[in-house]
Amino acid sequence: MESRARARRLWPGPRLVSLLVGGAAAVLVLYPIAFLLQASLSVGDPQARPPEAYGLGNFADLPRYGHIFANTVSVAVAATVMAVVFGFVMGWILSRTNVPGRGALEQLMALPYYVTPLMGALAWSLIGSPSGGFLNQVWRAVGGESHLIDVTTPYGIAWVMALFEGSVAFVMIGAVMKSMDPALEEASQVLGAGRLRTMLRITLPLVLPGVLGAAIFVFAEMLGSFSAALVLGLPSRFYVVTTAMYQLVSQYPPQFPRAAAMGVSLFGVMFAMVYVYRRIIRAGSYATITGKAFRPRVMDVAGLRWPLLALCGAYLGIAVVLPVVTLLYASFQRLATAFPRASNFTLANYETALSLDAVRTALWDSLLLGLGTASIGVVLMGFLAWMIYRSRLPGVGAIEYVLMFPQAVPRLVFAFGMLWAWLIFPIPIYGTLWLLLIAYLTVFLPLGLRTIAGVMLQIDRSLEESAQMCGASWGYRMRTVTMPLLRPGLIAAWLLLFIASVRELGASILLMGPKAKVITPTIVESWFSTSTELTAAMALLQTLAVSVALVLLFTMARRATQPAGE
Amino acid sequence: MSQPPVPVRRAASIEVRDLVVRYGAVTAVRGISFSVAAGEHVTLLGPSGCGKTTTLRAIAGLEPPESGEIRIDGQPVFSSSPRVRVPPEQRGLSMVFQSYAIWPHMTVFDNVAYGLRVRKMPEAEIRERVAWALGLVQMRELATRSASKLSGGQQQRVALARAFVFGPAVLLFDEPLSNLDAKLRAEMRLEIKELQRALGITSVYVTHDLEEALAISDRIVVMRDGAIEQAGTPAEIYDLPRNPFVADFVGSANLIEGRPRPELAGPGLVALETAGGAIVHGTAYGRRPGDRMCLSVRTVHVRLSRERPAGAVNVWPATVRRRVFQGDFTQYRLDWDGRTLVVRGVTADPVDEGSTVYLTVEPRHCVLLEGETRPR
Repeated sequence: MESRARARRLWPGPRLVSLLVGGAAAVLVLYPIAFLLQASLSVGDPQARPPEAYGLGNFADLPRYGHIFANTVSVAVAATVMAVVFGFVMGWILSRTNVPGRGALEQLMALPYYVTPLMGALAWSLIGSPSGGFLNQVWRAVGGESHLIDVTTPYGIAWVMALFEGSVAFVMIGAVMKSMDPALEEASQVLGAGRLRTMLRITLPLVLPGVLGAAIFVFAEMLGSFSAALVLGLPSRFYVVTTAMYQLVSQYPPQFPRAAAMGVSLFGVMFAMVYVYRRIIRAGSYATITGKAFRPRVMDVAGLRWPLLALCGAYLGIAVVLPVVTLLYASFQRLATAFPRASNFTLANYETALSLDAVRTALWDSLLLGLGTASIGVVLMGFLAWMIYRSRLPGVGAIEYVLMFPQAVPRLVFAFGMLWAWLIFPIPIYGTLWLLLIAYLTVFLPLGLRTIAGVMLQIDRSLEESAQMCGASWGYRMRTVTMPLLRPGLIAAWLLLFIASVRELGASILLMGPKAKVITPTIVESWFSTSTELTAAMALLQTLAVSVALVLLFTMARRATQPAGE
Repeated sequence: MSQPPVPVRRAASIEVRDLVVRYGAVTAVRGISFSVAAGEHVTLLGPSGCGKTTTLRAIAGLEPPESGEIRIDGQPVFSSSPRVRVPPEQRGLSMVFQSYAIWPHMTVFDNVAYGLRVRKMPEAEIRERVAWALGLVQMRELATRSASKLSGGQQQRVALARAFVFGPAVLLFDEPLSNLDAKLRAEMRLEIKELQRALGITSVYVTHDLEEALAISDRIVVMRDGAIEQAGTPAEIYDLPRNPFVADFVGSANLIEGRPRPELAGPGLVALETAGGAIVHGTAYGRRPGDRMCLSVRTVHVRLSRERPAGAVNVWPATVRRRVFQGDFTQYRLDWDGRTLVVRGVTADPVDEGSTVYLTVEPRHCVLLEGETRPR
């Protein structure tokens, strides 16, 4: 037995550290939100900081922008419906039918998410803009009138958004379909119900809460989405809330308070959505849908196997292959056109992109930031996840709630709060990469936490407790038991954080300074100010750089840490 | 059993006093007190939710109690006043978990060596001790195997070896056998008993399985709803249950209620009259009969015979309603005195359903229960 005094000195250690780190992270989230609220209530001179007078005037003004809110809702609804249909159909095909190659297809379904809405928007603009779109060129060449499709319309924007969010909907709905105990359906059939009746009376009601949850989650994301609406909507002056905010902030003179009021309204709606989503997920996890992994019952679809497989292939083709091939094709042309001509092909776009200092430093800064965000983020979020889901300290529930806030705030809106918050911060980090690092760490908190928590919750608590009973101190336990068991989750979180950071647009576009540029906003700038072909080359270079960086890092990591005992 | 290469730490005593553990609004343990002598094997027995695991985890330090005191070897490791909280890793205990908690990312050897490495023992000594411990649980050949490739029984053995290898003063067991199949459970029960005796270690064992408790304990503490119902040796608990709950939980018993008829009682006996009018003679074992009396009669203590046996008391006719063959014994449900009586008879000479039989119970097997001590 150790002495009592020593015990008392050691015990509060992890507790104090936990509350400090948790509290600091919560401040990181709440500080910008507070400034966003403050700005939205400022009714004096719009440039004055701190505000000269407070009032609700900015909110009273919002009805003037009614059409923008209507645009936002109609685009989000259309995109959500499409994304959920994609997700539901793919989820059903890949988890409940005997379509060939399901395992591989399921892995590939993550790809649309990595293509990102920005690349999709650039590519679809090349394919389907009314005048120069490749598809419309072909249409006119075969004798069509004016244009076949127009992606700059609300439905076009929704279509591009839905293609990429469909992969998120697939993951969520597919998980629900898989987590259903097949015995529930078998029981229905044993009791004499036919296949159709079973489908309608048992299967559908059981997956419905999950589908509804996915729909609400996707809808909230769509309300806050930015890049597709920016690339496709701005040229034709079609605004949604996020792009309108961006416009209000970047015009001269900037209309900060009005933009803040818009952001707060959007935040309010999304917050309610995410709240409803969490309620549904919690309530809908009836006793029947357990966390257990079942082998889902697979339906023999006989002759329909190949058409269904083709459907999956078509989705991947349209969401992944087509955009990438289009960008590749355009990037090697002097003037992007649907019909290849030998004289039109060139490497000049790549030469230009690589020779531009702006691109080179921005790409380098982005990779550096990605590395920093992922590495610091994994340590920070790993610790926070441990604290929230393991430590059983008082108050962690509230901290978890706050840390999940950024999920309900569009990154652009969040960045807006940070813009104000850090401008007056005594340490001059505004306009530096440090500010972007802090921004990324804050907005990606939910992403990292969820990823790590998913693995952490699968690790039985007694694995840590038994180390404790063997006499291991907190640090020793962490090093020998918790961290090694968490490794898959930490690696996954690192990857996601790295990729998400390098491709971040919404927060970066507001927060980057002239001396600290990052790549994605640079691509968008190039889209609006230089040529389409050059932009395509830049977007592909970004993707290439991310891929090369990942391959390099993983080869190095694998060499450095050969896992023991596996 | 081979001698440990390094002397095991001296066994320690445990005292638990007025322990209260709360989870939010729910009180899991309501001020219980008991003690475990050095080298003694005590079992906490009770249905799920009775607070036995919570009590064990409070002793381990994994569950913070609300109030009370826990002493190990006379030293307080938890106390609400003055405030003492020794973290689990410094209490000198060890524990075997219900889920085994074998680390899947280590080999069997590394799992067992963990507690020794924590104590910074030289590697040569670690090898010697791990080999000794694995030998005791018959797992020496599997030392290099990855722990994720073990069967349930093997994991259990590794968990045992890991728990005692570093010579803890107290070994705690949290339902260690509940995830094993019946045959393996009976086998491991004996092994654990052997091990306890060989190590001379103090142990606290939690289970809801009566046979397990009877087999391995020096003393049993029966719990319900966060309180202790009865504590005593396995024989005391089994033969002289204090109240209906213990009588029923510890083995199967028939409870016979009625009003006292002291004038009928023979010397040293008590007598009651049931609602149906039957007179039952029992033994008080020093307990005082109240206005209402309750006798506990173990199902194995009732004898069945086809002819009316000689004898003055506790002989009644009854009808066999249902006979259930259960292998080692045959269970009968009998209509007697307007109620159902459960009796275990020998399988060799079964009585037919529907037939009339005579029941005999010796008064010493009709145990007077204490009145209910607290309202339900």
